Amino acid sequence: MQKQYRLLYDENLCIGCQACSVACRMENSVPDNVYRVQVHMKTLGVFPNLGMQYERHSCVMCENPPCVSVCPTNASFQSKDGLVHIDEKSCISCKYCILACPYHARFINPLKNVVEKCTFCYETRVSKELLPACVSTCPTDALSFGDMRQKESLVHQKSQKEVLVFPKAHLGTKPKVAFIPNRKGIKS
Amino acid sequence: MAYLQARRDFLKIATTGVSASVLIPGSLGALGDVALKGEDKFIRSVCEMCSSRCPMEARVVNGKTVLIQGNSFAKEMGTSLCAKGVAGASQLYDPQRLVTPLIRVGKRGENKWREASWDEALSLISRKFSALKERYGARSVIFSAKTGEQYDLLRSFASAYGSPNIFSHWSSCPIAIESAFAHTFGEKLYRDFENSTYILNFGHNLFEGLDIPLTKAMAHFSANPSKKLVVCDPRFSIIASKADEWHPIKAGSDLAFILSLLHVWIRDGKYDKRFVDEYTIGFDQLSDAIKEATPQWQQTLTGIDAKVVERIAAEMYAAAPRCIIDWGHKATTTKAEFQRTRAILIANILMGNVEKEGGIFFAKTAERINTLACEKVVPELSDPYPRPRINEPRLDGAGEEGEHRFISRSHGILQAIPDAILSQKPYAIKGWFLTRHNPLVTVAYPQKMKEAMEQLEFIVVNDVYLSDTAMMADVVLPEATYLERDEGISKYSFKSPVYAMRNRIVQPINHTKNLIEIIRDLAERMGFGSHYAWKNITELRAFQAKGDAELLQTLLMRGVASFDVPPLLARCSSSVERFCERYPKSHLLKDTQGLFSHMLHSLKTPSGKIEIFSAEIEKAFKGYGVPRAVDMDVTQGYPYVLTSGKSAVHTNGHTQNIPYLNMLLSSNPIWMHPNTAKAHGLKMGDTFYLQNAISKEKATVFITEGIRPDTLFAYMGFGRDAPALKRTHAKGTNPSKLLSLESATLCGAMITNVGVNIVKA
Repeated sequence: MQKQYRLLYDENLCIGCQACSVACRMENSVPDNVYRVQVHMKTLGVFPNLGMQYERHSCVMCENPPCVSVCPTNASFQSKDGLVHIDEKSCISCKYCILACPYHARFINPLKNVVEKCTFCYETRVSKELLPACVSTCPTDALSFGDMRQKESLVHQKSQKEVLVFPKAHLGTKPKVAFIPNRKGIKS
Repeated sequence: MAYLQARRDFLKIATTGVSASVLIPGSLGALGDVALKGEDKFIRSVCEMCSSRCPMEARVVNGKTVLIQGNSFAKEMGTSLCAKGVAGASQLYDPQRLVTPLIRVGKRGENKWREASWDEALSLISRKFSALKERYGARSVIFSAKTGEQYDLLRSFASAYGSPNIFSHWSSCPIAIESAFAHTFGEKLYRDFENSTYILNFGHNLFEGLDIPLTKAMAHFSANPSKKLVVCDPRFSIIASKADEWHPIKAGSDLAFILSLLHVWIRDGKYDKRFVDEYTIGFDQLSDAIKEATPQWQQTLTGIDAKVVERIAAEMYAAAPRCIIDWGHKATTTKAEFQRTRAILIANILMGNVEKEGGIFFAKTAERINTLACEKVVPELSDPYPRPRINEPRLDGAGEEGEHRFISRSHGILQAIPDAILSQKPYAIKGWFLTRHNPLVTVAYPQKMKEAMEQLEFIVVNDVYLSDTAMMADVVLPEATYLERDEGISKYSFKSPVYAMRNRIVQPINHTKNLIEIIRDLAERMGFGSHYAWKNITELRAFQAKGDAELLQTLLMRGVASFDVPPLLARCSSSVERFCERYPKSHLLKDTQGLFSHMLHSLKTPSGKIEIFSAEIEKAFKGYGVPRAVDMDVTQGYPYVLTSGKSAVHTNGHTQNIPYLNMLLSSNPIWMHPNTAKAHGLKMGDTFYLQNAISKEKATVFITEGIRPDTLFAYMGFGRDAPALKRTHAKGTNPSKLLSLESATLCGAMITNVGVNIVKA
């Protein structure tokens, strides 16, 4: 791997405002009624002892991606930087990858009839040393992104300081998106 | 709470794509495909998806997409922006948006139109307004707008025309705060969230009513384990979920809670005595007024345990002066709004946090900085909007002897309009010019307002959409969106002065116009073109900047201009020292403790001091001179209170129909506690009625633990009657339809907490 990308999502800073989702839609021309990233919120507990769960839904860029191994045409593939991409030309929309993805991160683009998902904005931004659109737009700095090998980077420093949770870690998929869990309110 | 699929019941995401089969006259959709003419590089400007006016930057990609992000030349922004701001292009490109002037052909409100040229529309408006002036006098025409540059412009136009009846949205939003500040400090103050250590928040919902610099500061505050945020709100809002403590206070009872805080501090002598002695008047009257307001007393009113008040009082005093009791950005909940907001300001005063780090502070405007520096370090601006005072009484009696004597003549009370029109008292009203103002959605009792509008001879609405209010017009002017407008310079002063300027990102689609162009054209046609020293936007900007080419260049390139003035807090010695080092002449203004204390000795109040007690108010409104427990009932005998507020993806009455935002939140089911729902036999998604003496409105129920059982909540801006807003038409409930036209005492705020019954459908 040439890069060790990581996207950190701090639930304590996230306010569920959906700026990330709209920024992604603009940047990637995501069609209406489907999305690559959204934050879902859910009230937990019984009045007045409550908490709010903030959950980011997007591709988590697995180190061991189930979507890649099930793809019959190699349309889903892993780049040398360890990112998971989809080659539109090879995709036959068989939806195996959609079923295989434990994070429900993939969908059919209804205009192109191919499978799509978050790419970390690799083509348009990250490959040009820019931050992904969601990270750049977030009103509260809840997202940070970078190469973990750069020790001085915010993503590295925050990773050292905070307790990180990797979604569905028990599946062994090794996601590159990590969560800093909410410290306030009822948790379940 | 939740947007999105996690709660399908709450948020019905549209399942169909584009399907508008009948085209709206004058709409962008009627034009067919349009390519955007704009540059493929970032242009810095100012957002207008809400009133926060965040600095932003935008660029056009391939003549099609407009990418928008925060303007990082404004350092508190970075590239951050909210969902509404980022979705700007979704409004620009909305096929349901208006791009051609419309003239009414059916009966008023019937929604029958024909398209017209700009020349025809403007000529008709100038002829009609001139005729109304001749026949009934200029005062027979009302002008209204949201505050901001457009309001300044319209106010100036009203003044040139000769009408005293100019209205802003103040009475439906910040009027209580503005009034409380005027009568306490003589001007408005701001909050230093980033340096505070303890914040007590009364429903100031910065995580759903976003203002990026403030929201960001509050997010970092609430996520910091060494700081403390306490939120009192009947609803488990997003900010409540981020608090260290959430107290589900009974709706309308904030005043009781604050009075008991004041009681504890004064009882125990735990307040900043030196500050109170040196800078304020009226402490003794306050002391008398809060004698009975014990923590025990407030318990039955607020539902918050007396011990909690004792503890919070002690914690805040320990944190003082790095503590803030937050007054919010919209305070229109009860009849006692003025008292509530004054009590909050006075709580800050007792904590001695004025002009202290982590406390509250006066705006450091260019004029103030230049005075303190004893030299001209920041360019000052000319006012391009002249407004000679019209010496006639206003229709609402604002500024005259009587119950509205303390209401600003420049902002007025919107709730007074229907009665004045219908009763023709104090005089006949015949016309109305509204710019981007939608009172049929955002102001109380729109049914009555509509009835009144039907009586008028001529109505002009300037808007992006054929809104509920626009439907009542004779002429609808399709305004250019903010992405298509060049405008003048606006001031943003916090701890140091900042200017910002709106620069056009794309050429206006179908030659839509800016209000500046519209007003200039109308003034010319109506024979008072000489009222303005400028002829077009370029001249306006140059006039405003007093020909300062460098300032204009900076604003064109960067969208914002700041002046490297060190942030100044007058009662913080290190800050004053830094300022004096930079501007040596200012050393002379320092007092013996090295502070600029003189700033607080010559305020624009009658006494020149901070007024805890206001003799002027006591004289006109007995018992109102200091905060007291009055008028906290918001139920009017009904079993439930309906409250309302914002979501992060919509603004008051403006954004609900914008495609990308509508996809995120397309309706407003009413929040209800499970026990309440059970008592009325309601299940998630059921239809029911909200009923009171004013109206009976259909609603859908959203059942959640996140609300008091005696309280209901609705997001604002839904329940639209306008068929041209195809995505929102007839979806959700307009809570304004249940509100009375009664105003809060003294300050004139619209009252948005209202008693209702739940009636099964």
